[in-house]
Amino acid sequence: MTRVKIEDKELEVDLTEEEVKYINKNLKSNPSSTELGMFDVMWSEHCSYKSSRPKLKLFEDAEKNYDYVLAGPGQDAGVIDIGDGYALAFRIESHNHPSAIEPYHGAATGIGGIIRDILCMGVRPIALLDPLRFGTLKDNPHSQWLFKYVVKGIADYGNCTGIPTIGGEVEFDESFENNCLVNVACIGLGTIEDFKHAPSRAYNPGDYVILMGGSTGRDGIHGVTFASRTLTEQSEEDRPAVQIGDPFTKKLIIEATLEAIKTGYVRGLKDLGGGGLSCALSELTGDGGTGARIDMNKIFIREPGMIPFEIMLSESQERMAFVVNPEGLDEVLSIFQKFEMVHAVIGRIDDSKVLKVYDGDNLVVELPAKALSESPVEEREEKKPSYLDNLIKEKTPELTIPLEEVIYKLTGSENICSKEWIYRQYDHEVGVRSIVKCGDGDAGVLRIIDTNKFIAASVGANSKHCYLDPFNGAKANLVEVCGNVIAQGAKPLAMVNCCNFGNPEKPESYWYFSQSVKGMAEFCKKLRIPVVGGNVSFYNEDEVTKTAIKPTPTIMIVGLIEGREKIITLPFKNAGNDILLIGQTFPELGGSEYHSVIHNIDGGISPKVKDETIEARWKMFRELYENDLVKANHDVNKGGFVITIAEMCFKNELGADLDLSVLDLSQISNDELLFSESAGRFIIETNEDDYDKIMSIANKYKVSVYKIGKVSQNPFIIINGLEKETIDLDVQKMKKLHTSTIPDYMEI
Amino acid sequence: MTIKVAVIQFPGSNCDLDTIHVLNNVMNLEANLIWHNDFKGDKYDVAVLPGGFSFGDYLRSGIIAAHSPALDEAREMLRDDKPIIGICNGFQILTEAQLLPGALLQNDSLKFICKWIKIKVENNSTAFTNKMENGFIIDIPIAHGEGRYFTDKAEELEENDQIVFRYVDEKGNPTIDGNPNGSLDNIAGVCDLEQKCLGLMPHPERASEQILSPYHTDHGRLFFESMIDFINRRS
Repeated sequence: MTRVKIEDKELEVDLTEEEVKYINKNLKSNPSSTELGMFDVMWSEHCSYKSSRPKLKLFEDAEKNYDYVLAGPGQDAGVIDIGDGYALAFRIESHNHPSAIEPYHGAATGIGGIIRDILCMGVRPIALLDPLRFGTLKDNPHSQWLFKYVVKGIADYGNCTGIPTIGGEVEFDESFENNCLVNVACIGLGTIEDFKHAPSRAYNPGDYVILMGGSTGRDGIHGVTFASRTLTEQSEEDRPAVQIGDPFTKKLIIEATLEAIKTGYVRGLKDLGGGGLSCALSELTGDGGTGARIDMNKIFIREPGMIPFEIMLSESQERMAFVVNPEGLDEVLSIFQKFEMVHAVIGRIDDSKVLKVYDGDNLVVELPAKALSESPVEEREEKKPSYLDNLIKEKTPELTIPLEEVIYKLTGSENICSKEWIYRQYDHEVGVRSIVKCGDGDAGVLRIIDTNKFIAASVGANSKHCYLDPFNGAKANLVEVCGNVIAQGAKPLAMVNCCNFGNPEKPESYWYFSQSVKGMAEFCKKLRIPVVGGNVSFYNEDEVTKTAIKPTPTIMIVGLIEGREKIITLPFKNAGNDILLIGQTFPELGGSEYHSVIHNIDGGISPKVKDETIEARWKMFRELYENDLVKANHDVNKGGFVITIAEMCFKNELGADLDLSVLDLSQISNDELLFSESAGRFIIETNEDDYDKIMSIANKYKVSVYKIGKVSQNPFIIINGLEKETIDLDVQKMKKLHTSTIPDYMEI
Repeated sequence: MTIKVAVIQFPGSNCDLDTIHVLNNVMNLEANLIWHNDFKGDKYDVAVLPGGFSFGDYLRSGIIAAHSPALDEAREMLRDDKPIIGICNGFQILTEAQLLPGALLQNDSLKFICKWIKIKVENNSTAFTNKMENGFIIDIPIAHGEGRYFTDKAEELEENDQIVFRYVDEKGNPTIDGNPNGSLDNIAGVCDLEQKCLGLMPHPERASEQILSPYHTDHGRLFFESMIDFINRRS
């Protein structure tokens, strides 16, 4: 906090003293309180990325290096060309702090915000995905409260707007108990022409600026600076800074905006999110190389007596700014009238490169359009935490219970169990595009109507692995989420990320961020996956318990499937088919569910990633798919490959007869083999007649493929070939454990 | 003759485009999306009230839309023997407008439910079920928070053949297990006395293409095939 004396008043701002000096030096005159407030918001971490920018440079320039990328980082959403004249837009961002204070509206407005980001690329939002993180549910009413109302907030908002929630992910870990993570992702679809119509820039002097949608109130003022501070007990007092969502208005905004874009007269479009009008106007004009003259009195306000500072910084939801060609002004306004959307022409674009805001005859803001979006960069220190070396050395305690019991426990553990309780509350069918539905696959699969193309999308993070080794953890997570779309038959096309970390002013937290970005950037470059957008959420710490969250670089991968017959699903299909394990298992129990659920430890060696090995497996899959050799596929994730096999048995109530003696067991213990979460492995079901063909393709790419057993009619998983024990698991019992965990905690 | 179908778009409708897609691309009809204030019933042979959250479901699901001029037009159409179907929110609107009996209350789980379920045909003589067999089991998804059907005139409905669908379990029986939302007597859909106005909570437009169904069925088509047949026979 810095105290600034201005207009005979003393104001408290979140800007640093250096930043205040920088502003005073670079402006012709000292800023007014409104102007300073605008800087305060726009230069907050949330809007300016001032701490993260130096590291985010590591991501390649996607627009330059990939010909199918139409919009890359720095825009409201990434956009790619998927062929047949269609553009796909997608983005992921966080709404952590608001959700930790007020879970229902925090999550709902998170959805509202991400929908606006997609909409302002000129395309229709067609799917939502939500990676969520909470404290453990067991005996924890606070976590249960956050979990219940975050899910309800997402459901109520997404369902009402008619955008299906087609996927997501949940992780439960103590480190998220007070600072839960609510990341929200949205995918949009439109024609390439639609996308080109509506840039988020104002290029043409003379165009009108229209504000459309909800009214401007006092809610959410300083929501941004609030998101860039760590949570304290006083944060409860910040509750008015959490905005209130209105999904009904949002639905009308979507329809009115898309109809307006179709007229061809909309030449610039920007949503009002963090930073409100200040952010929207400065980005439209600053990035467009223009200026604007805005009349504040034209803005429809919700309550009387709002001062310029409040109007410029309000983060009231459900507002969009349109830049419209004067020739089409009446046509565009008549569309807003049809939808009964409140709207006002609030000003015009000019060539002054200055943003001027008038309150009647008073000029209250006069700033170079670019000044607000050009914050100074903060170079942060990074330092590997001193506790890590010891943590990595932590040994797996001796197992004192039978392996069978371990597997049953894992099946019903919070991070592995079925998430049906959540996705039943989400309308995942609306839009008539959902082909692979929630719970039926590793990724959601949507059809592109009128084509034979399908989009697979998945989100995820693994905070436990990143906590031990952020470089490999972030890579392994990429391998896992790409694995999800590959398991459905898709080719990964592009990635967006959402980096959730602690306080960047602490060198240890910044080190986690820096290492994760390095890991992701290296892997994406190697495997040719463009990074088309990102969001950074710092200050995810809980000052009450003095702990930071586990580092969580969440990502979304979007992939393409060319043809209905190429979609692969998860469940085992036929008894008698082979079960193949793709990829080697290493003794890598660090950060595994086995360690946390059975032994209650965090440490150990976590999975490492060899980029070349992963690349070879992905290439092999392309060839297996081209030859239709895979009947079912599920990538190995939390809990290890036996859990993967069990999940494949559930739907059709089949079983598996496994003989693990085909694996080299000399260098690995039983628990390491069964429960390691080594990256990039898959379980596939294949026809036994195809075995030789499959092996010759595997050998060509030098991929380790093991035939570990067969699908059986009997709903039991029998594991032979281990040194001492035979394991005999009842699939029906596992299924019951898998589906009952969350309802048991959440239902009275 | 070409059948003229209107899909009425209320503010907040969100299954409107899905319904248009099925009518036009799957059933090869010529359906139009009509803004509720602009809808004129005399230009159409049939009207569809699609699912969604008309007026945000504020106040009570369907109640605000029930006062739209479009519902006066719908009443007029029924007087002219033209059929009307309300799906999900459309059903809620039709009950609020008292074109159909009963009410849709909050699900007994107090939660929104999105799920493929099964319903049984109880009356195949309506304008939208005449291509179905009585007792036929339909695979179809629901997606609603307020779908628990209630009426204090259940016996009367039964006597008048107004119960068109019941929720059933895997074996085809109207049990508690098969009832996803606590509806009275497992009622999933009802019609008016003349059997030309149908309302149901499940979504036929989401069940009209094999690719969308976990069972590779397209039972939703039967609703629209029945509708086409009804209109063709009448003219």
